[in-house]
This record gives sequence, C-alpha cells and structure tokens, in this order.
Amino acid sequence: MFVFRNHTIEPFFPNGCSFSGYDDVSIIPENEDAYVWFYQAPIKFDNGLLAEEINAMQQKFQLVLGKVSPNKTVIAFTMDLPYLVSSTNSDFRVKNAIAKYNEMLVVAASVRSNLKVVDVSEFTRQYPASELLDWKFYFLSQMGLNPRLAKPFQEWFAKKLEQIALKRKKCLVLDLDNTLWGGILGEDGIDGIKIGGDYPGKAFLYFQEALLELSKSGIILAVCSKNNEKDVFELWEKNPFLVLKKEHFAAWRINWQDKATNIKELAEELNLGLDSFVFVDDNPTERELIRQMLPMVSVPEFPSQPYELPVFFGSLVEDYFKVYAITDEDRNKTEQYRANANRAQAQRSFTDYHDFLRSLNIQLTIEAANEFNIQRIAQMTQKTNQFNLTTKRYTDADIKAMIQQGCKVFCLAVADKFGDGGITGCMIVNGTEIETFLLSCRILGKGIEFAFLKKVLQKLKNEGQTKLKAKYIPTAKNAQVRDFYEKCGLSCVSEDKLGTKFYSADLRTMDFEIEDIYHMEIK
Amino acid sequence: MEQKILNIMKSVFQTDVVDVTCSQRSCEQWDSMNHLNLVVELEMEFGVSFEPEEIVKMQSFQEVVQILKGKLA
Repeated sequence: MFVFRNHTIEPFFPNGCSFSGYDDVSIIPENEDAYVWFYQAPIKFDNGLLAEEINAMQQKFQLVLGKVSPNKTVIAFTMDLPYLVSSTNSDFRVKNAIAKYNEMLVVAASVRSNLKVVDVSEFTRQYPASELLDWKFYFLSQMGLNPRLAKPFQEWFAKKLEQIALKRKKCLVLDLDNTLWGGILGEDGIDGIKIGGDYPGKAFLYFQEALLELSKSGIILAVCSKNNEKDVFELWEKNPFLVLKKEHFAAWRINWQDKATNIKELAEELNLGLDSFVFVDDNPTERELIRQMLPMVSVPEFPSQPYELPVFFGSLVEDYFKVYAITDEDRNKTEQYRANANRAQAQRSFTDYHDFLRSLNIQLTIEAANEFNIQRIAQMTQKTNQFNLTTKRYTDADIKAMIQQGCKVFCLAVADKFGDGGITGCMIVNGTEIETFLLSCRILGKGIEFAFLKKVLQKLKNEGQTKLKAKYIPTAKNAQVRDFYEKCGLSCVSEDKLGTKFYSADLRTMDFEIEDIYHMEIK
Repeated sequence: MEQKILNIMKSVFQTDVVDVTCSQRSCEQWDSMNHLNLVVELEMEFGVSFEPEEIVKMQSFQEVVQILKGKLA
C-alpha cells in the first residue's frame, strides 16, 4: 500500500506501507496493490491562504487519481479540521474549502469505482480537539494527528479496509417474537404485542424503521420464526403499527421446524450462499444452534434490553452491511453530483504537471552558508537520510571549519504561493568534489533537486571551475538517489563492490538548462 | 525500569538486538521515525511528557534512562 500524505503519518499505518514524500505527487509507484490518499488540513494562520491550499489539494488528488490504474483501489480519506484559529466568527473560508474538498472526493468516487472514500471524522469525532493534535509532535515531527492515537487509528483503519475488501452480507434473517416486537404473538395476540406507542414498543418500532431503511439499500430481509404462519399473516395485515410487513420480506419460514433446516431452505429459495446470511434472534438457544449447525452464517449477539436496539442496529450495519462510509450514504446525492463531476474535473485539473508546478510560483533561493544558517545546515546533514547522496554527518563546528579550509557550502530555501518552506537543501563542495548534496524529503517531487544542483554547478563554472567529482554512497535509506547524478548529466566512471558510485563532470560542456518553472535567485 | 525500556525499544525497533549499549549511531532501526515512536511509547508507558530538548538528547539507551529517571524523580 502506498500512502500519499502531507504530514508525518507513518505511525498510523501498518508496517509495510510506503509513503510519498511530504506533499509529493510526482512519484506514483506502479507495483503497489493499493493507494491511500491522506491529506490533512495544513496548519496556518492566514485563512485565505489556507483555503487556497486546500483547494489546490483537489488538483493534486485529481492528478494522482488520473494516473493510477483503474484496476487498483484508491482509498481517500476525507479532511477534517483538528485546529483552526479564526479571529472572526464569520470566517468560513477554510471550512468551506474542506467541505468542497470532501465533496470532490465523493463526486470522484461516483465516477471512479476503484476509489473508496473513508470518512476520517468517524475516527476523529471520538476525541476532543485537545487530544487530536499534540503541538509538541506537530512542531517536532510535522504530525497533524497526535501519535498517541496511532494504535486506535490503526485498528479503526483495519476495520475500514475489511469493509472495503469484504463482500457485504446480502441477507438478514430475522426472528419475530421479542426481536421485531415485544411479547409473543401466540400468547399476546395481534393487539397485545408491543410495537409503537410507549416503551418498549417504541424501541421495537425504531428497530423496524431502521431495518426498512437497510432493506432500501439493497439488503434482503427474510423471516425465520416459530409461530403459526396464519397468525403472522393476519398480524401483517391488521396491525397498523407494524412498519415491516409481508411485502418487505423476500422469503419466510414461519413454522415449528428447526431453524437450521429453515435457513438452509431460505438460502436455496433465495439462491444465495449461506455465507452471505446474518441471523438475528433474541433466543440464545436458537443462536447457538445456528452457530453449531451452520457456522458460515453470521450470528451476532442480541441485546437483552429493547432500549439497546439502536446501538445493536448500528453495530449490525457496521459489522455486516456497510460497504464503506460516504459514497453509500450519499448514493442519491451522487446522482446529482455526477453531471457536474466531469465539468468540474476539467476545470480543476491541469493536464500537464509542469503547468501545475508553474502555477505554484516556486521560489528557490540559494545562499552561501552564514552564521544564521549554519546550524540549520548541520542539522540537515544529521537528519536527512533519503535524499542524501553521501550521508555525511556534520556538526556546525565541522561546517565552520570546512568553510575556513576553503569548502563552499550552499543552502537552498524554497517557498511557493502557499508558504515558505525555509532552508530545505544543502550542498558542500570541497575543492573539486561534491562532499554533500541533500534535500529534505518534504520538498521533493517538484524537480527542485535538479534546479538546485545545476544552478550551483553553473555558478562554479562561472567562477572558473572546469571539472568536478562526485560520489553516491549507498545506505539503507537513500536508494532513491542512486541514479540522481546520471539524471543531472554527470557521468559515472566507476562503481565499487559496495555500490559506491564515482562520478565526474566537465563543467565546460555540461547542460545547465533549468525548466522555466522556478524563480531562482543566488545570494 | 531499565528492562521495561529495553522491552519497549525492542518492540519499537522490531529487533531483539537491543542492549544497554544501544544508541542512534549503533542501531540502524533507530531512525527519526522510530525515535518518534519510541518517545510516544515511553510517554504512554511511564505517564510522562518529554520536552523537545529532552527528546533531542535521547540518543542512546543510557541517555533515555537518565532523562526518564530525572522525570520520575
């Protein structure tokens, strides 16, 4: 499973998942079994800018969705708002942007059957805002959700995956007495059973109404009851409080035969497999019989008190009859949406990724190391693992010493129309060799690495340098940059047994052309 | 407490090769993501909340023990 994300969310997903770079939609690995889209609302104070950024996430999503094979499942999380500071009560820009984003997901799911939408608020609403976000971990590790919730989140998500993967059950077999109404028809009579009116009839009425809605979503209802069929038919005809009547049931076995035999017959009559059956009965003996005799039938426990029926119904749906959250609930709405979908999609999505990048207005500022940025540079050499060609670690004292010895140390600051990412790249040239070249993974996916390298090399050339050497030293984490220098036009002259690659470049003949999507400045 | 910490480290790093000499330099699994996981697990297990400065300093088993002892004292 490959997860597209804009915050640190690794602890929330099971082992074995791979993750995109932060907000990086440029790489869509092909041999993944499924893709997850989990973008969280960024945290920033300018609500206008924030709303715009959320709008742009729609475009990014459409880009990804368009590129993923329609045979592969894409699971998209809705967005919610763990934190928002608004100085006025009437500023709905961010909330509206999120609503639109979520609507876009639902619309997309209505036209792309491989897209499943998971409503993240189903998880987050269980927690107060103060628990959802831990500012410490947000500032330390860019976590948009409190890492302490990782375990419950994983459990919840596993359930969602099951709902997506599992076939939902097709048929619900219901007992009658003390299940669909209170009391026993054979003893209390058609006017004596408890349905509608005061409690407990009210609770059974609620249950029947809920079951009726369930049947409208395509679940087949059937009856299996020990009663006289004639009595039940009379009840269905005469009792005005019943919601579920004969016409709502696809089949029934109302007799004194054992229920296992009855359910087998129902399966044959309906031409359904027993494994698509759920059996609901208030009598524990009957439940046990079915569990023993027909283990493929699902048999949930039944509540002992009628007031527990709403919760019981909820878990019934959750466990057996839910496909996945939103698209199902919005089935009718999606019809109306569908017409708008393609139009909106055309407006929103850039056909060309470069056009999209250009629209971001990316500013790249290259600056020589100075007393203000040396600490950050050292920190990056300590922390960066993935996009790091040599993985050499330095302290700020090391770097100061290197500069004194004549090394050239550059850092890169990146900003775009949504905000300033600060210093996120660094390059150290020692004489004629590139000692260090690294970028923070949160800015990858925009081709910035090429622009950064080429611009610095061009500068070195202008200063009179003609030749340059470089190295790629493999580690457990930096495989993604194995061929980076080749892509920049350096030639690999040798590779040793450990996989270290040695490069050389002739700056006089090198191609320094950089795509015109960046605004570059060297300070 | 030391044993408890070792057990947490083993489970977070998913390896049995963790002893009192374990450090970020020596242990390949102790990367930035697992550091975060470790901090969260320790906070939950011992009911403490580490300050960012402490989190940065916890680069070895010994430092974890030292900082945790300071917190619990």
